[in-house]
Amino acid sequence: MEFIAFAIALAIAYQAFKGYRIAQQRTLLYVHFSFALLSAGLLIDSLAGFLGLLARVLKFALALTLVGYMIYFITQLLAYSLLIYAYVSQAKSGTTPSASLVLIATPGLVALQATQDSVIRLFAPLVEYHPISEIVLLFLVLYITVQTSINYSATKDRNAFLVFLGFLLLTFSHLLFLLMPFSALLFVLGHMLQLLGFISLLAMLLRVTKIT
Amino acid sequence: MMQKLPKYRSQMRIYVDIMRVIQRENNRAKPTRILYGANLSHDRLVKYLEELKGLGVIEEVGGGDDERFYRLTQKGIEFLNEFRSVERFAEAFGFVL
Repeated sequence: MEFIAFAIALAIAYQAFKGYRIAQQRTLLYVHFSFALLSAGLLIDSLAGFLGLLARVLKFALALTLVGYMIYFITQLLAYSLLIYAYVSQAKSGTTPSASLVLIATPGLVALQATQDSVIRLFAPLVEYHPISEIVLLFLVLYITVQTSINYSATKDRNAFLVFLGFLLLTFSHLLFLLMPFSALLFVLGHMLQLLGFISLLAMLLRVTKIT
Repeated sequence: MMQKLPKYRSQMRIYVDIMRVIQRENNRAKPTRILYGANLSHDRLVKYLEELKGLGVIEEVGGGDDERFYRLTQKGIEFLNEFRSVERFAEAFGFVL
């Protein structure tokens, strides 16, 4: 499932870069790097997972999966932050969206509170599954979802709806990843929602490129 | 969306505005129509038309001032189509080009 999501993210990154070359708009460059990072993370995580399964009998299997998760977490963190930066930088040249600062500050505060106990806890989210890392990602992708929902409510455009739906599904997928310790089924459902989110983004991509 | 258009148009935006005026005029636009349609001063219009001709996306047809008009080349038509696709992509995310 992650491999399909990787291919879709790569296609969006390509379209954003093509757009940047044509329109010379910096926000499209941010979108390009954001989806390029997401695609790289998805590829590494899916490959690590696959190799981890293959090498299950060997000792390095777990380490491989953890490294994959760590890289995926970092790429997602950077990718979502870049998209948020694109929205914030555009808002600066226009009007300031409401509640944006609250949404940006919240994951930071949550992370800060969690790191007060020990240094080990600080690095825990980076090397293995940790609720804090998923909470941070959840808030970041939630901010993007809010932005895309504002865009859709203003334009009522079908492409804007597909982007909003895509990020909404990604938000729910992160929520399910967060609740993963309660049931392994949530992990599978999370991945399914993630794939559906990327499929929604692919539908938008096909629609905008079909116009020409 | 709460975002509004930027205060100043980028050079690319002005190019596209000029080309869209020409397209709107059935690919046969006189300088005066472009001037009003793209909301430009005379000096800037002359400058941008020269640049667009240099890029090969528009061409000048006719000799005298009264007969002179501009039209899109095939390259210009293709560029406008590509730009529309990019514009729709950006708008889907809520970005204004």
